[in-house]
Amino acid sequence: MILMGRPLRRFELINAGTVDEAVRALSKYDGRAWPFAGGTDVLRVLRFRPLPEDLMPDALVNLKTISPSMSYIKEEDGVLRIGATTRLADISRDPLVRSGYQALAEAAEAVATPQIREMGTIAGNISQLPQCLYFRKPDDRFHCARKGGSVCYAQSGDYRYHSIFGAVNNCIMPNTSDIAPALVALGARIVTNKRTLEAEGFWDVRVPGNTVLDRDEIITEIQVTRPPPGARSKFLKFAVRKSIDFPLVNVAVVRGDGVARVALNAVAPKPYRAYAAEEVLLGGGSEEEAASAALDGAVPLQMNRWKISVARTLVKRALLMASGRGAEGGGP
Amino acid sequence: MSSANAHGGRQDSSGSPGVIRLTVNGKRYEFKVGVDVMPFTALRELLRDRLGLTSLKEMCEGEGVCGSCTVLVDGRPTLSCLTLAVDCDGKEIETVEGLAESGHPLLEAFSRNYAYQCGYCTPGFIMSAKALLDRNPDPSYEDIVRGLSGNICRCGTYAAILSATREAADALKARRGGGGL
Repeated sequence: MILMGRPLRRFELINAGTVDEAVRALSKYDGRAWPFAGGTDVLRVLRFRPLPEDLMPDALVNLKTISPSMSYIKEEDGVLRIGATTRLADISRDPLVRSGYQALAEAAEAVATPQIREMGTIAGNISQLPQCLYFRKPDDRFHCARKGGSVCYAQSGDYRYHSIFGAVNNCIMPNTSDIAPALVALGARIVTNKRTLEAEGFWDVRVPGNTVLDRDEIITEIQVTRPPPGARSKFLKFAVRKSIDFPLVNVAVVRGDGVARVALNAVAPKPYRAYAAEEVLLGGGSEEEAASAALDGAVPLQMNRWKISVARTLVKRALLMASGRGAEGGGP
Repeated sequence: MSSANAHGGRQDSSGSPGVIRLTVNGKRYEFKVGVDVMPFTALRELLRDRLGLTSLKEMCEGEGVCGSCTVLVDGRPTLSCLTLAVDCDGKEIETVEGLAESGHPLLEAFSRNYAYQCGYCTPGFIMSAKALLDRNPDPSYEDIVRGLSGNICRCGTYAAILSATREAADALKARRGGGGL
């Protein structure tokens, strides 16, 4: 047999038939089993082993085998309901999402590559472990703060792409989900087997996790109330390449009909809602003023100061586009 | 009621390790989980090592960033390095070998346009192009660029790849007998 490259670390695969079965399996393994659906992040972790052995999963709980399927998009009583394992490609193509929830469709279309969008799910995108040069290297090279160590190597190393709003738990790794800011701006709710969370309160900075979910908790559905008829939403992303890259800064806004919401990501360890910008807009301020206010309180370092001007421009551009005054196309 | 199954495949009534059944390029295969295929076997390894489908390449060490192991799983362009073989139970898989058997115009178009130099990325590109044309039979230049943006050609033959894909779209259109000059 020809072995190609690095093999996946060994694990058990548990095909859950119901949400209850999935939850039971997760609690049985008590943190050593991870939920599994699209696999584009989980299998990368199992192949490249960035985490110390005691944090690597021994089992994956397959959520795609759950019946009834958690892959669906529907709208009921003005609320968009997307099942947890719905593929990003299906979301970006869906006429319903594209018509009333543009920022979400655009965010789904901005993720990685066509293949990864066909594989990756909405719940996986918002729960993915974030990106950092040091965090993603094997544990014996960088046992960083997010792996239970005491040092953040980025802070004294290459932090060009990291947080401009400071550290949380000594980690400046930014949250790199494209879907997250769209959900925050649209005021989405994340439904799990235990509770319903406001999108804004969904993320956390843990070792090594990225969400407030318990070990035996899985997302079952994402809900978004349809924005009022006069409101429009917009998502913009800045990255080095047009394909495959994680965001260096992204932004989602909802505007019009008395609504003003602005959310950024990849600028802080958690998705960042720019309340100051929203207040400026509701008080009749300009896009320019709002964009400037969005970055109030930023504490960049020498090498990631550039993110401020990029973020300001993206916020302004997204707000102008959402109000029908900005030119489409011609990315940043 | 089905019970959670730690073998990652179908469990038969005797409770012995499950089997997975896949259709690859129109042929049906059955693999015993734990014997022929392990839960941690990537689809790419199964297709290459058990079925000899060597069109599946590896450029990026299985990180999902190069696209050279792209196959279609139930019509979706999929990275076979980041897909578990046991997770493909009941699914239909297509590789370039299947397109060669059926004489898909993409192969001839790639050949005529010299849409490769070393050829290592070609099978992945062709599968992405197949997925694109299946969904969008008349793609614009931008549609093709977007549709193939998950594949990397390190020789830089992109311009020829884009022309070849457009040419294949025209050939398929002619074959369907629709429109044309």
